[in-house]
Amino acid sequence: MTVERLLDLGAAINPGFHLIIAALLAAVAKDTFTRAVALIGGPALALLVMLYPPVAGVEVSREMFLGFQLSLYRPDSLSLIFGLGFVLAAALGGVYSLHRRDRMQDAAGLVYAGSALGAIFAGDLITLVIFAEVATVASALLVFAARTGPAYHAGLRFLTIQFAAGLLLTAGAALYGLEKGTFLIADLGGLWNGLLVGIVDPASAGGMLIFAGVGIKAAFPLVHNWLTDSYPNTTETGAVVLSPYTTTMAVYLLARFFAGYDPLIWIGAAMTVYPVFFAVMENDLRKVLAYSTNNQIGFMVCAVGIGSTLSINGAAAHAVAHIVFKGLLFMTMGAIKLRVGTTKASELGGLHRTMPWTTLACLVGSVSISALPFFAGYTSKTMIMTAAESGPGMLIVWLMLLFASAGVLEHSGIKIPFMAFFSHDSGKRPEEAPFNMLLAMGLSAGLCLVIGIYPGWFYALLPFPDQALEFLAQDLVSTAHIIQQLQLLVFAVLAFMILWRLKLYPAERPGVIIDIEWLWRKGAPEAGPALAKPMRAGARILAGLASIVIGRMQMAARQVFASDGLVSRKVPLSATAILALCILGLVMLVSLFQ
Amino acid sequence: MSEEQIKSPQEEAPKLGEAGEHPLSVLLFSWIRNKLAFRIIMALVAALGAVLIAFEIVVSKRPVTNLLTVPGFYGIFGFLAFSVAVLSGWPLGKLLRRPEDYYDTRSGEAGRDR
Repeated sequence: MTVERLLDLGAAINPGFHLIIAALLAAVAKDTFTRAVALIGGPALALLVMLYPPVAGVEVSREMFLGFQLSLYRPDSLSLIFGLGFVLAAALGGVYSLHRRDRMQDAAGLVYAGSALGAIFAGDLITLVIFAEVATVASALLVFAARTGPAYHAGLRFLTIQFAAGLLLTAGAALYGLEKGTFLIADLGGLWNGLLVGIVDPASAGGMLIFAGVGIKAAFPLVHNWLTDSYPNTTETGAVVLSPYTTTMAVYLLARFFAGYDPLIWIGAAMTVYPVFFAVMENDLRKVLAYSTNNQIGFMVCAVGIGSTLSINGAAAHAVAHIVFKGLLFMTMGAIKLRVGTTKASELGGLHRTMPWTTLACLVGSVSISALPFFAGYTSKTMIMTAAESGPGMLIVWLMLLFASAGVLEHSGIKIPFMAFFSHDSGKRPEEAPFNMLLAMGLSAGLCLVIGIYPGWFYALLPFPDQALEFLAQDLVSTAHIIQQLQLLVFAVLAFMILWRLKLYPAERPGVIIDIEWLWRKGAPEAGPALAKPMRAGARILAGLASIVIGRMQMAARQVFASDGLVSRKVPLSATAILALCILGLVMLVSLFQ
Repeated sequence: MSEEQIKSPQEEAPKLGEAGEHPLSVLLFSWIRNKLAFRIIMALVAALGAVLIAFEIVVSKRPVTNLLTVPGFYGIFGFLAFSVAVLSGWPLGKLLRRPEDYYDTRSGEAGRDR
């Protein structure tokens, strides 16, 4: 069998399976070399078969399952760009995790990446739901992997919310598929500008359930705390492996199913704004990054809601760029977690002295997420901002996104590097991160620069490449855009410096910031005992009243029916005759007027 | 030992780097610890902001039709948005910050030593 034949065979299989097979190898690997083969070779193989041969828009495999037609592998330009982001994240996460000998975490990470990859390449709703559920279980294992009490409880909360989302998604997919008579994505809707996007009717019962399930996975407002609760409780590598997949997969599903659905614009805009306020207050820098993820996903959700070719390109580009720069920021915080044991800002500061490479990587990640021109974030976010600016009636949304852009600079651009590596000297002098971590950070930082400086290849991979390349030629590096973005950033930095100088920047303090999760972590558990006391008192009063009423009734009955009671007394015959006459008269009256 | 003797090492001019500091940090970051560095950077950032607004006035060819097209709008918006985000941390922190063991304790026990 030739190499070409092998590649043909491999390319006919959903690339997610390649990662899942690599996970089996990682689960039994005993030496670093075998682990490296699984952790890096698996994603490399998936990338190879994904790009070979170019089969976008073609259903590669179709199977029958319980009488339903399935399509295990249906790549197109939308799934390809997200898939590229996932395999890059898997490979970089693999390099980053090499120092940590934990086979469970290695295998869970690869299964998670593989199932997320499988879900976005799935050509039908059944395959999609199965992959998404496997991803949920694998991701929960990554939360449990820290093997601490808080991680255990965070993992249980994570599983509960994710299973709820999975159930909604499954029920929605079943209803919608049965209603339409097919589960094949290609048959659910027509092409829009040559691509299958916005194919589910959100007004149908099935569509609503799918929307709710995907919304939880995207961490929509009020259901976002699974994200901020789980990431900070994982191991130093866990957050890096967790961060790229679930929310990004949700963005992909929103684009595929609900592109152009107006409520997404406002949901996304709200998602960009409120995490800014929480990130300012938060002391744990990994939690700050989790809120930052929420904020960045908001940009993508808003772009999907706008539903133009430019905005969908922007959402896809930002999803991949975000995977790279947010992964990089989580890597730098993971290095601190490994070396210092905590990522709480109140216990950090001045780490640049002994961790300069990590500091440099963090600075690259920070300027990338802040969308400094010629870094990855600028390449992707500019499309979303331009789409929002040019949309009719979008002024308020655009201003919200602009506010959130300044907010991103605050929490991820300045707070993360400044509080960890500069600020006041904590006196801690930790060792620099291990080589494999530095390598992963270096590669991620390099990617941030490559995407920022040479965006052409990146734009050619976007869902609508012609429109993307047109935007690149006309808008991306236009003087106006660059000046406006630089103005926003420079004056925001100036504001930071003035506020810091005037000691108006809130000091980092230990503590937890309560969020909507308070309802199920504190409110509901305490509501039972709190309500029990007044309810017991109420029940006692009711019981007392009931006993009084029943006692009176018993007494009355005794008076009436006892041997010497009312009905047993002898009455005169005349009284009986008068009573009978009255009854007779009453009957006659009734019959007379009837 | 007199107070002067204790203070004297701190009053010396800052050295390039510190004992045990990574050479790359000495090369790239040690200048940040100079007392004047913060002020110099702040002045440079302010100057850059002014240059950007001036550049926008010169280069921009679009007519000023509303507030959004006024030169410097992005800069002023960025300054105000950043300030609002940061300053909101004071009241919101007072309202929403709880002791670290808040979720680990039963009602009324938060913050107590156990």
